[in-house]
Amino acid sequence: MSDHALVRLEGVTKGFVKGQESIAIFKALDLAIPTGDFVAVMGPSGSGKTTLLNLLGGIDHVDAGAITVAGQRIDGLSENALARYRAANVGFVFQFYNLMPMLTAAQNVELPLLLTPLKKAQRRTHVETALAVVGLADRAKHYPREMSGGQQQRVAIARAIVSDPKILLCDEPTGDLDRATADEILGVLQTLNRELGKTIVMVTHDPAAARYAKRTLHLDKGQFFEKDLAA
Amino acid sequence: MRPFLLQVAAVTLINLKSIPQRFWLSLSTVVAVALVVMVLLTFLAMSYGFQKTLSGTGAADVAIALRGGAAAEINSAVTRDQVRLIEEGPGIDRGADGRPLTSAELYLVVDGVKRSTGTKANLPLRGVGRDGANVRKGITIQAGRMFAPGSNEVVVGKSLASEFAGFDLGQTVKLGTSQWTVVGVFTADGGVFESEIWADAPAVQSLFKRENYFQTVRARLESPAALASLKQYVESDPRLKLDVKTEQDFYAEQSGQTTDLIQKLGWPLAIAMAFGALAGALNTMYSSVAARAVEIATLRAIGFGGTPAFIGTLVESLLLSVIGGIIGAVATWLIFDGFTTSTLGASFTQVVFSFHLSPALVLQGVGLALVVGLVGGLFPAIRAARQPIVAGLAG
Amino acid sequence: MNDFVLVFKNLFRRKLRAGLMIFSIFIAFAIFGVLASFERAFNAGQELAAADRLVTVNKINFTQPLPYSYYGRIAGMEGVKRVTFANWFGGYYQDPKQFLITFAVEPRSYMDVMAEEFDIAPDAQAAFVRTRTAALVGETVANKYGWKVGDRVPLSSSIFSQKNGARSWDFDVVGIIKPKKPLIDTNFVLFQYEYFNETRSFAKDTIGWLVLQTTSPAINDKVIKTIDETFANSPFETATDTEKAFNKAFMAQLGNIALIVTLVVGAAFVTILMIVGNTMMMAIRERSREIAVLKALGFPGGRVLRLVLGETLLLALIGGLAGLGAAALVTTAMRESLANFVPGLALNAQIVVLALALMVALGLATGLMPAVNALRLKVAAGLGRG
Repeated sequence: MSDHALVRLEGVTKGFVKGQESIAIFKALDLAIPTGDFVAVMGPSGSGKTTLLNLLGGIDHVDAGAITVAGQRIDGLSENALARYRAANVGFVFQFYNLMPMLTAAQNVELPLLLTPLKKAQRRTHVETALAVVGLADRAKHYPREMSGGQQQRVAIARAIVSDPKILLCDEPTGDLDRATADEILGVLQTLNRELGKTIVMVTHDPAAARYAKRTLHLDKGQFFEKDLAA
Repeated sequence: MRPFLLQVAAVTLINLKSIPQRFWLSLSTVVAVALVVMVLLTFLAMSYGFQKTLSGTGAADVAIALRGGAAAEINSAVTRDQVRLIEEGPGIDRGADGRPLTSAELYLVVDGVKRSTGTKANLPLRGVGRDGANVRKGITIQAGRMFAPGSNEVVVGKSLASEFAGFDLGQTVKLGTSQWTVVGVFTADGGVFESEIWADAPAVQSLFKRENYFQTVRARLESPAALASLKQYVESDPRLKLDVKTEQDFYAEQSGQTTDLIQKLGWPLAIAMAFGALAGALNTMYSSVAARAVEIATLRAIGFGGTPAFIGTLVESLLLSVIGGIIGAVATWLIFDGFTTSTLGASFTQVVFSFHLSPALVLQGVGLALVVGLVGGLFPAIRAARQPIVAGLAG
Repeated sequence: MNDFVLVFKNLFRRKLRAGLMIFSIFIAFAIFGVLASFERAFNAGQELAAADRLVTVNKINFTQPLPYSYYGRIAGMEGVKRVTFANWFGGYYQDPKQFLITFAVEPRSYMDVMAEEFDIAPDAQAAFVRTRTAALVGETVANKYGWKVGDRVPLSSSIFSQKNGARSWDFDVVGIIKPKKPLIDTNFVLFQYEYFNETRSFAKDTIGWLVLQTTSPAINDKVIKTIDETFANSPFETATDTEKAFNKAFMAQLGNIALIVTLVVGAAFVTILMIVGNTMMMAIRERSREIAVLKALGFPGGRVLRLVLGETLLLALIGGLAGLGAAALVTTAMRESLANFVPGLALNAQIVVLALALMVALGLATGLMPAVNALRLKVAAGLGRG
């Protein structure tokens, strides 16, 4: 794999303690994701898919090993440094959207921009652009409760991309949606990857969803089994 | 710095906008704090009103002489000879006719009936000298006229007439064994005298068989500084075993014990209740943090720091308690400010006073509310800031 | 495992929340206990008043004197079994701030009329009648100043002085007055009227008030009428009333204590009711799924209702009993220092019973809504939630 990988995991070990025993999720896991990749991560429940995403997003910590994103070691960073890392580099998309119910679509999308020095007018432009990318320019003033699940997820995607992060981390983004809506969302992600060159890591249990990615990694018993869909 | 403030503002706004989702719980905190503040302010207003009535009585340039050691007028006795000696003393102002402005007074307790409860009450009947009203400042006949010397007529204080039955203008009232006619109602700048019945001293002396002695002598001084010379004069004469002080000091001393008691009752009660309300506030805020766990974690995942979550939670708590505090203060003001009642004063007679809520007291009440909000928000806010993101996202 | 274990475990699954609610309830009942004790102590005079005892005072006001001769005249009236009198001394010890409730009394008759209340040793009784300068000291006063039989104590008066100009009198403590029943106040000192009357500089041969025993409470009204009519239109008219009515009227002068107590306790309870009620509602809502599981397992509705109500009842009882305990400690601690203002401050059985009733009421009131919600919960909906 390329040395210019955007994301690199080296010897990552992660476990959790349950009662007396500690259970390992990963042992000495290695992974490299180049810029512009769209990776689907599949695997049985409990295999550590979400934990992988959390580690990449800097909201969980490794027990051992190194994680490098965009040339920066993120394991061992302080909480504040991690928050800055996330604000600058990471966009999260969750299964249940996690929009703030009391904010409009535009306000939700604007949230990450509050972490940047952008002026109000600049922020508005960014928000409009992001909403346009996901096809929701006309819904800017709507509240989450006034939108369908698919629309809410699109707002969430707009929120994830508005600050132009280097990597999008999607945790079961279509897990709560019907087939047709799921396809729309996946289409949006694919467009982001192909036309805007966004690097995307998507956890899913849906093989149909995984087909939108460039490649699929199967995570099982703490190891990857790569399966190239093109092949 | 700007992005940080924006973060704080955004998270706080999200926080406040989410209050309606916990409407009943938040309302219960507001009401709880309001009730605590109400209890505190009611007691403080009562204490302050009583104090105001007593401290509004008497002037610095009016001297009062009582028998040595007597703390209250009812316990004092002054003989006719002693009255004459005082009148000859130095530093006493003179009236238009050139006579010293003094008033030898009797102070008797008579039974009256409280209008609100219909129960017996001790009322003070003061027999005043011919200069009784002139010695004091601020005595104004509001209705009717002054009693005629030597007659069995009385004038009554405004508060007494309104609180106790049978003292309306023109009414005849039985005091002791004789009938008296109410010929006037007077005001005294809101002081204790408004809770008194005044009559001509010689008439009271003869009808109550107290021919030879009085309780006190009042004297208008040339200036407050003249007290010292009068005091020295009294101390140097062995026939005058009397204490001399300004009327102002005399009434200020009397307010001490009662206001102390009310405050000593009010503060502990309010603090105990505040702890109860604090438990409620903590509960509400922990619930708020729990309810917003996903939101907080999502914001953290986006890259927000822990501090905005901390501040947002604290602001929510402070806002709820301040609203409660203000509601409590306004309610106390609407219900109790100006509420008139009476209790036994130092002279064993009823003192009529009104509850009075001052801005300083309101500040104390809102201050207590803020403390409840601060402590009630602090620990939940720490939890909000420290909550692990992964756990929060798991909901 | 039984229902109690289930209730207990449910309550304490969120230890912090349960702790906070118990604390709120604790505070409410501590306030209740202390204020109710205050109110009781204030009204003790009415409740302890003997039915056959009357008080005669000057009709103008009870602070006005009566002539000594009334003692003999009333003693001879029909229906009067015993009579005695007392004179307020306005006493204090050393400093006017250390005021002492002190009465000059006629020794033999006073001890006879008060025989049901006070326990005075026979030799002390004899010494009090015999010794001109004798004083009987109430247990509370004796404890406060450490006075013993045989001590000679000077008491000053804020009203009277001796003929020689002295403001204080020396007394020999000949006995200690102990209460015969709980709540009876012994925060006072008695001494001989004769000694007082002969030495004081003014108001000779006047007395403060008379206390008399009728031959039967049934003739109280008749005796009252006889006395007051006898002295009507004299220079010293009288007002006679039962001891109970007299005490009640006196307390009423202080202002409405009962009302203040009721308002504060009411405010505290409303506060707690809201906090606990809301929190319980939330706790039950969080547990919809579990309640649905219980129902799916076949628990009948009534049982579920009992489980929820049991939880709030348990909460109210734990907090309430602890609060009541704290109130008992507080009142005990304050009893001594407040003896001059509110004698006999104590938490009694009646207050405890009332508090228990309030705890049950609080438990039921706060649990009712959540319990009904739990009862109504549809199993399928509950399982679907969360």
